[in-house]
Amino acid sequence: MGTVTRDVVLEALKKVQDPELQRDIVSLGMVKNLEVTGGKVAFTVELTTPACPLRERIQEDCQKALVGLNGVTDLQISFGAQVRGSKTGAGQTDLLPSVKNVILVAAGKGGVGKSTVAANLAVALKMHGAATGLLDADIYGPSIPIIMGVKGEPKKIEVNGEFKLEPPTAHNLPVMSIGFFLEPDQAVIWRGPMLGKALHQLMADVHWGDLDYLVVDMPPGTGDVQITFSQQLKVSGALLVATPQDVALADVVRAKSMFDKVMIPIVGIVENMSYFICDGCGKKHEIFSRGGAERAAKRFKIPFLGEIPITSSIREWGDKGVPILVREPQSEISRTFLEIASRLAGQLSVVSEIARRAQSLKIISS
Amino acid sequence: MASPIPVEINHRKEKGVVRVTWEDGHVGEYGCGYLRGYCPCALCQGHGAKIKFVEVPDAKLAEISAVGNYAIQFTWQDGHNTGIYTFDYLKSLCPCPECNRSKDR
Repeated sequence: MGTVTRDVVLEALKKVQDPELQRDIVSLGMVKNLEVTGGKVAFTVELTTPACPLRERIQEDCQKALVGLNGVTDLQISFGAQVRGSKTGAGQTDLLPSVKNVILVAAGKGGVGKSTVAANLAVALKMHGAATGLLDADIYGPSIPIIMGVKGEPKKIEVNGEFKLEPPTAHNLPVMSIGFFLEPDQAVIWRGPMLGKALHQLMADVHWGDLDYLVVDMPPGTGDVQITFSQQLKVSGALLVATPQDVALADVVRAKSMFDKVMIPIVGIVENMSYFICDGCGKKHEIFSRGGAERAAKRFKIPFLGEIPITSSIREWGDKGVPILVREPQSEISRTFLEIASRLAGQLSVVSEIARRAQSLKIISS
Repeated sequence: MASPIPVEINHRKEKGVVRVTWEDGHVGEYGCGYLRGYCPCALCQGHGAKIKFVEVPDAKLAEISAVGNYAIQFTWQDGHNTGIYTFDYLKSLCPCPECNRSKDR
């Protein structure tokens, strides 16, 4: 029997690819705490997100790669996760240095369920074990306070000699919304510069703490707020929400072209209200037809992350301030959200790998 | 999302060229005058649809910097620095014979 060495193990693990990042896990730096004693091999695979959709597959591949090695008698693979940052964009300064990934949940038009999707995805990422926050940037119709069941003005706290706003916690998530500062029924009737200022405060003056993901619920459309975000924040990517019918897809195209212009990568598209699950008979009704968003995703080569059904309970509990994931974690709709969150986290890992490669660019003068 | 990514950008002052090495190993040498002429900024290009070549005599490069994770900014010695060359755009400009053959212009 030959003896196993660290080098032999690492060499074997180089054959294991991260299926999403399409590189081997050794050169990605994912193999940690490798210990080889006699025939015993133990190591930790550090995934790029706790919501990793590929954990089982990576584990299997590692086992396959090592079991055949001469002299390996015992194999222990554990998993950890270290979310990698992926922020990009033209933003000059990083207003949120303690946040690793900023995801904009956006759509070309209103009424497609951005806020519901944003809130439930944030809860899902949290359930997967990632430190997650939720920022409601929908200046005109802030609905996160209702959906998450929080209200009232956030407390001011002192952090390193500066006054910051402490985001209230709802369902274990730090949440911030412009709605906290408005009287109920009061409308925001502001012009661009005021909007920019308010958003800047929501970004810079909030004490988020260390977050893996900050999910931002964007206002609908392609206007001032979107431009402000792209210029003042370093954003990881945008998630587009669409409903299945064709008129809604026209707006996806517009949203896509805007994010292309401001150089924010689109990390995925989800179809909301894909079908209605009848609470009486359980039958699925495709009210707005189905599959349009997936076709659009194919056409523009955007990852399609999933279809979210509409049920009366998602509406009902949304209005009561309890996201469906918290209320009915076992329901079909909740499982869908967890899966989509996983795929989203996977796509963010891909973006972060691209960012890392781009940042290693050498500029020289000779 | 599969934009080309450069790994090295080398301003070779004496030759007056910028040599770009891409991740896939492809290398392109761009003359400074050529790069400046195809500056994508609105000052140079106006608002027409088609990218045109705008001759700037004796263009000399002062500085190169990265923009976000997607583009390169060139600062010229006359102070002009508004051109942001996305990786895609920079690759599309590659003047090497191989790339030129596959282009229709």
